[in-house]
Amino acid sequence: MKLIYTPVEFRSRNYIILLIILACLSIIGFIFFVMSYIEGHHVFGISNRVPWGMSIVITIFLIGLSAGSLIISSLTYVFGKEEYRLISRIAVFLAIVLIFGAMVGISLDLGRPEKMWRLFMFFILNNMRSMFALNGILYGGYFVISFFYLGSIFAERAGWTKKIGILAMIWAALVHMGTGAIFGFIEARPIFFSPIKPFEFLVAAMASGLGLLIIVVVSAFHFASRPFKKEPLFSLGKLLLGFTITLFVFVSIDKLTHLYSPYREPTLWLLTGPFTWLFWIFQVGCGYFLPILLLSHPRTRNTISGLMIASFSVVIGIFFERFNLVIPGTAHPMPFYPGKIEGMWGLTGSYTLTFIELLMCLGIFSMMGLFFILGLRYLELLPFIEKRKNTEDK
Amino acid sequence: MTRWAMVIDLDKCTGCQACTIACKVENNIPHGSPEEQRKQRDIYWNKVIAVTNGKYPHIQTFLIPMPCMHCEKPPCVTVCPVKATYRRKDGIIMQDFRKCIGCKYCMVACPYGARNFNNKEQEIKPYHRQDPPPEREVRGKWPFPRRTHGVVEKCTFCFHRIDQGIKDGKKIGVEVMPACVEACPSEARTFGDLDDPKSDVCRLLSSRVWFRLREELETQAKVYYLTK
Repeated sequence: MKLIYTPVEFRSRNYIILLIILACLSIIGFIFFVMSYIEGHHVFGISNRVPWGMSIVITIFLIGLSAGSLIISSLTYVFGKEEYRLISRIAVFLAIVLIFGAMVGISLDLGRPEKMWRLFMFFILNNMRSMFALNGILYGGYFVISFFYLGSIFAERAGWTKKIGILAMIWAALVHMGTGAIFGFIEARPIFFSPIKPFEFLVAAMASGLGLLIIVVVSAFHFASRPFKKEPLFSLGKLLLGFTITLFVFVSIDKLTHLYSPYREPTLWLLTGPFTWLFWIFQVGCGYFLPILLLSHPRTRNTISGLMIASFSVVIGIFFERFNLVIPGTAHPMPFYPGKIEGMWGLTGSYTLTFIELLMCLGIFSMMGLFFILGLRYLELLPFIEKRKNTEDK
Repeated sequence: MTRWAMVIDLDKCTGCQACTIACKVENNIPHGSPEEQRKQRDIYWNKVIAVTNGKYPHIQTFLIPMPCMHCEKPPCVTVCPVKATYRRKDGIIMQDFRKCIGCKYCMVACPYGARNFNNKEQEIKPYHRQDPPPEREVRGKWPFPRRTHGVVEKCTFCFHRIDQGIKDGKKIGVEVMPACVEACPSEARTFGDLDDPKSDVCRLLSSRVWFRLREELETQAKVYYLTK
């Protein structure tokens, strides 16, 4: 079986319409970003009690997707598993698009985005003890490495690809572990503070990245009307099952340690307070239980629809895992002094997603979608399988 | 070396909030609207919390004024990626608005909730001071060029008063003190140098029982509380 990569020739009107819609949404998002920059962050749902809002949730979600996607691509280019070759190019391209979206997400959250360059003045103007500054190195390097990686893949230099692939895989793991460390090293916030956070983030990245990759690959093949082999996807489904179970174990350990210690109010509040639905239904149900059920049940695990639903629910569940980390992590009032803090200083912080924030987040997603479908159109990403006899699909 | 510290006598504090008001006036902090209050977006460099323990009739209420604790090991300085928040040689933790990029990481890391995000451009009325006192010619280099939205702000122990007092050769803590200390009607607050054994701060700390907030985090706060 030989794979030939060709640009997808989207000729239909629907493609153009989709392109225009995505471009419009991105421009609307950008306009609202400029507005929030001029007006100040009071147009967002954040407050002094909950300083990080939806843009940080989306940023860490996207970084996870990107790192996971890049790590999955190393299955082919580093470990030499030829059967996954059909998804690997797309995985690397997807990783670049997603990390770009994540960087845009960070700049949306900054109060003064024009000073973002200060984040990248390593060792000169930066405080290198800060996890944010260290992550600046990781994100910047990640961008460069993944571009070289994609370049060597396009040039079809197998030796170089393997070398850069090893570096990219390790770097991607570090990127998301560093992102976990941003939260896990903060002792003042009990829901964040956990040594297991970097590893939990890594597993979540691989699970969500693989989930998104399955969704994207299946839909790209479907909309490009190209045949594809199903078996590699089903074995990726098994991998997804493994990641999801590991993630579930990590999250359980994290929550149980917090429940075991005497100061357990914040975690109890997360599990039983106003975030109950988001936690139990969306994070646990949608993120862990449904995919584990679908991917292990013999009737659904070998069907494309079962795999797609499982991947969707993993991606959505991990989005809510991020949400349930960032927002409740800061919303619970801090115990300044033992006892009940009266009045406004003892209230839990509230966060409501505002319309502007929603449009800005939609803007990020549509911008990434735009780049992705343009990439499919103009880059050689999607393989075309020569021997049609071997494929069963379509 | 000087290490500025504050001692707050909880036995004397009546919770009148004069310190909060004095701080707002001195540092030109905007008064929040009821809507901002509801959304928890109003800026307080100094707050007074009330903590109750027990149930009626066996109830005890502590009124605890909380400025920035100016920790010896400040978590906010550790996490700031751009060195916008830093520790001065005299132990005051400062925030440089020119460097601050508004990432809010320090607000997440601060265990005392002392930090506030400036969410919007403040309206300027004729009776608003646009810059904190004293005047620019007198105070020299000032880390706050202008109150601007998109940065994090916090209590500075009224460092401009201290610096000016040292320049004028006045006794800090006796003649010159932060606005909240000056405004306290019951003289619950004392300001002074921890490294000077003759200061009022050291005298109080050696003669009374004191505690610091959230000592389990080892931040070594420099705001001490004398017990009731």
